[in-house]
Amino acid sequence: MAKTDLIRDVFGITLPAERVADNLEAYAEILKEIEKLRALNLKDIHPAVVFKPNTDHLAAADD
Amino acid sequence: MTDRELANLAIEALAPRIQSGALSPVELMDALLARIEGHDDQVKSFVCLAGDARAQAERAEKAIKAGGYKGPLHGVPIAVKDNYATADMPTLAGTDEPIAGLESDSHAVSRLREAGAIIIGKTNMHQFAWGNETPPTRNPWDLDAVPGGSSGGSGAAIAAGFVPAALGSDTGGSIRIPASVCGTVGIKPTFGRVGRSGIVPHSWSLDTAGPLAATVADAAVITEVLSGGDDDDPASAGDLAADFTSALNAPVGDLRIGICRNHFFDGLETDVGDLVMAAIAELAKLGAKTVEFEVPNLQYGLASIFAIELASSTAWHDQAVADGTTAGYAADVRTLVEVGRFVTAPDYLKAEQLRRALIDDVARCFAEVDVIVGPTTPLTAWKIGQRTVRIGEIDESVLAASWRLTYPWNLVGIPAISLCCGFDGRGLPVGLQIAAPAFREADLFRLAHAYEASQDWKGIRAGL
Repeated sequence: MAKTDLIRDVFGITLPAERVADNLEAYAEILKEIEKLRALNLKDIHPAVVFKPNTDHLAAADD
Repeated sequence: MTDRELANLAIEALAPRIQSGALSPVELMDALLARIEGHDDQVKSFVCLAGDARAQAERAEKAIKAGGYKGPLHGVPIAVKDNYATADMPTLAGTDEPIAGLESDSHAVSRLREAGAIIIGKTNMHQFAWGNETPPTRNPWDLDAVPGGSSGGSGAAIAAGFVPAALGSDTGGSIRIPASVCGTVGIKPTFGRVGRSGIVPHSWSLDTAGPLAATVADAAVITEVLSGGDDDDPASAGDLAADFTSALNAPVGDLRIGICRNHFFDGLETDVGDLVMAAIAELAKLGAKTVEFEVPNLQYGLASIFAIELASSTAWHDQAVADGTTAGYAADVRTLVEVGRFVTAPDYLKAEQLRRALIDDVARCFAEVDVIVGPTTPLTAWKIGQRTVRIGEIDESVLAASWRLTYPWNLVGIPAISLCCGFDGRGLPVGLQIAAPAFREADLFRLAHAYEASQDWKGIRAGL
């Protein structure tokens, strides 16, 4: 498998190769910003995404 | 009163006239429809008008005459951004085809109709809310300039005197940016305050519904009506207290005004910086105490919102990317929707970690201040086709500059309002932004109302 095909598989990209190249070029400026984020050590901070299990059955049991 | 004078009245002036019978909703509707017909070929703010708008006005008039007055929105025409589902009009979200599954009223539209408002039509938007220019809509203050976006049609329609108010949505500034460059009021309420079911999603944890209006009092009334639980929006905060109007005229001397000196005052057009500082001086004259401070981590905010917004948008459009439908999107939107694939899962989660840090940093600032005041946009309305703006010695992309001061409050989820604080050397409006802690919209409206009352341009519209 060609390396470019592997990259497309890893990222789940279904677009033609030339379109992927255009998009990579467009992403370069955004990537510069994201690289600043990658350099930060945030390991002690919980992300703003909070998972909660469904507890509807507990409310139903209380009724 | 001429049709134009009537069309330029704010809801706070229209409502008592409608309630007393001095003004017929039909007369008002006719005046607005005539203005739209006469001028929207220049502005291009509407994509659709309700076929039965006049009949709705007749029904409102009949109900009010029969003693069934519902409140300040009864009989008032309000426009809706074209990403809100409406039962009587298609929802295109800036595309050429109706979006499937949006054939009944969205939560927000239902609340407006229950309050007696008449949905006069749908306003143009940047496609899928992914941009700040809203082509082909033009800015009524300068028809060669953009109206901002993505709720640009809503801002332009109010500035042109086509409607007194309109709904918008705000993911990184899409209500406040058009409000700023069109010289209207626009509020992004607290995330969760207004139900979003029936709005085409853009980024689930950032999208916020809210109004643009001619005055602060009008925005307060509409936000009050929109507030409340939405069972079909997982982010809905439920039925929280929402009285934004009873204390609008209360003094503001108790409020501590925060001025965040990093990020929010970097790279401003000279007139923007001067007018915002003059507005802050005016707030101090009204009795408010000012406090200067800095917020850490703001320099990473752009990376954070890019990662979250791009990844979310690509997830929502994933099927369209896979089946090739995105090839029919506007070129800028197609690129943004497709490049979200490059945001890795660790990038996304680090963005959410940074967001948590920023939420906590801002909360610490709010221990010392009640509101944070600054500019809404670092520049005024830019020309259609203009790609960069020179601020000081630096050329910056207008798109990057335009949302630089608004997206931090989307990341943090707090309410923020934009209102006009004067006009630059080219006669274009400048926006003042005020942010408050989560669910403290009442303080924000009170301060904005006091400032607005101290100036000459309250409710001003462009001279089309």
